[in-house]
Amino acid sequence: MTDGASTPSWLLAGAEDAPPLLCSGKRRRGGAIEKTLDGLAGLIREALESEEVAARRGLLQRLDARAKLIGMLGLLIATGLVRHIPVLLGLYALTLVLAAASRIGLGWFAKRVWFFIPLFTGVIVAPAMFSFITPGEIVLPLGHWFGHEVGLTRQGLTSAGLIVVRAATSISLVVLLTLTTSWTRLLAALRALFVPRLLVLVLGMAYRYIFVLLDSVSEMVTARRARTVAAKRSRRGERAIAGFSAGALFGKAHALSEEIHQAMLARGFSGEARTLERPRLGAIDAVSLVACLALAILVVGGDRALGL
Amino acid sequence: MHIPDGYLSPATCAVAGAVMVPVIGVACAKTKEVVKERHAPLLALGAAYSFMVMMFNVPIPDGTTAHAVGAVLIAVLLGPWAATVCVSSALVIQALFFGDGGVLALGANTFNMALVMPFVGYGVYLLLTRNTSLTSKRRAIAAGVGGYIGLNIAAFCAAIEFGLQPTLFHTANGTPLYAPFHLAQTIPAMALAHLTIAGTVEFILTVGVVAYLQRANLPLLRINHPGVVDTDAELAPTRGRPALRWALIGITTMIALSPLGLLAPGGAYGEDAPNELNLGKYGLNAVPSGLAKYNDFWKHTLLPDYGFSSGRHANLAYVLSAIFGALVVGAVVFTLAAAIRALTRRTEAQAEAA
Repeated sequence: MTDGASTPSWLLAGAEDAPPLLCSGKRRRGGAIEKTLDGLAGLIREALESEEVAARRGLLQRLDARAKLIGMLGLLIATGLVRHIPVLLGLYALTLVLAAASRIGLGWFAKRVWFFIPLFTGVIVAPAMFSFITPGEIVLPLGHWFGHEVGLTRQGLTSAGLIVVRAATSISLVVLLTLTTSWTRLLAALRALFVPRLLVLVLGMAYRYIFVLLDSVSEMVTARRARTVAAKRSRRGERAIAGFSAGALFGKAHALSEEIHQAMLARGFSGEARTLERPRLGAIDAVSLVACLALAILVVGGDRALGL
Repeated sequence: MHIPDGYLSPATCAVAGAVMVPVIGVACAKTKEVVKERHAPLLALGAAYSFMVMMFNVPIPDGTTAHAVGAVLIAVLLGPWAATVCVSSALVIQALFFGDGGVLALGANTFNMALVMPFVGYGVYLLLTRNTSLTSKRRAIAAGVGGYIGLNIAAFCAAIEFGLQPTLFHTANGTPLYAPFHLAQTIPAMALAHLTIAGTVEFILTVGVVAYLQRANLPLLRINHPGVVDTDAELAPTRGRPALRWALIGITTMIALSPLGLLAPGGAYGEDAPNELNLGKYGLNAVPSGLAKYNDFWKHTLLPDYGFSSGRHANLAYVLSAIFGALVVGAVVFTLAAAIRALTRRTEAQAEAA
């Protein structure tokens, strides 16, 4: 595939060199759907292709996937139970330390975590700071509304802070797990923890299918654009095309599924997720697992000791 | 609708998780029966499809995000249990790699989108497609309506899970510990976003795919519709009027179940036999003379107390009584109806003649 010698140079040259295909007429900008698709493709690629990080020699990479999974769940539950912002901040700092010990760039790690926070949490939590949603002691008055004083309340601010820090800590824990564990090992760990075989199988294949699906959809959209000569866009047509494309994809997959399954059987597929080395729980794994769970209990206990 | 970690209390997550663990187990077993393992790639595609559909989401400023799910389409193509497996897989991938929906909240998220939605939607679809062929237009629309209703019910469940948090979990000074919005805020917000935007997207997608497959790829639809004929022309003419058939089925069921009445303790109020009356309770010394006199006025019943006079074979007697009663009532009503029809016809004929 990378054998450049046998490939003619004109094929390797970029598309810029080719003569413009559309010589006359206005070229329409790509629609919202295409842009979203392109953005999605990049995002998904970035999020899923963590195998490189998982191959680095760091602290978490060395641990067994099962131990990591259980440890993460324990810390996640602790994060859910904690009721003080300083304690949560301490847990968040811990995830940063773990990331550094696992040779993950801190800036990159934080960016990945905080990318989701404003999108799914910040926008949503903002209104909760006001006295409309969370009544209580007003610390920043913003005027009056039908005789009532409105503004940011202490309760609202605390609640918003709790949610944002808790969400960030939870996502950090999950990202730590997925970044430092290859997908096959994670699947094997899920299987070892009694997740049904079929679900693990579907998970593994869906992970691959997302890329196939993305490629197929962008190809379909491009092909559609290449065939479209109408001056005006038909909203009805565009709506129909979404259904047709999805239907055609299902059709293709159905046709392929028999062959893929036979190919899987031919390669010795028995339904179990396997990794090359037999994963064995070593002393380090056991110690870190116990440490994780002890820390989780300690954090919750300490938090309760601080009062409600 | 993806609930992130930190929005629900661990207690809520534990309850939802406890519901979903056995459900996922059953779903995997059922899916293997219906879809077979060789369709595993198709299941994976279903999961990937649901994943893609859910990626297109818009945050709405009240604790939630709105997007279509695609669960009902998968339920129509591969069965509702398969939809549970597919959507759960998509949710697991999103939770692990995108922080979209929490890991602890997976129980709640799968409950809403992978259990409630496909089953409600598929139920609606089945109701609306009774006695239609595989290529009928009604089938595509029914799938879309199922998707719309399923999505909205799922959103409603999510709104309740959210909205209960500030009431159940807050500190002494009223600081909400988890999601801060109350039911009065979450339900309208979720309903508005899903009744308008997300529901419409779900409807269009589901109808589009099913309509396309009806024209272009019937074998794919046949996986989950064994024994459904292809065109309306092949539909077997139904025997009798469907309403009459359903009425008969209903009455027969009730007759068969009638001995259940024997299990009920006590009698109906005011229907006690005189010798069973608790006289002391009513401050009486004896059964009132009028009651005693007229109670046994009619002694010629065929099946006294819905039983044989010997008092044996109570269940059989109950069923016989039910059949006999139904026949007598039916005959009376039929005669009355025939009489009324004859009368109206005569009146109409007279009116026409005049």
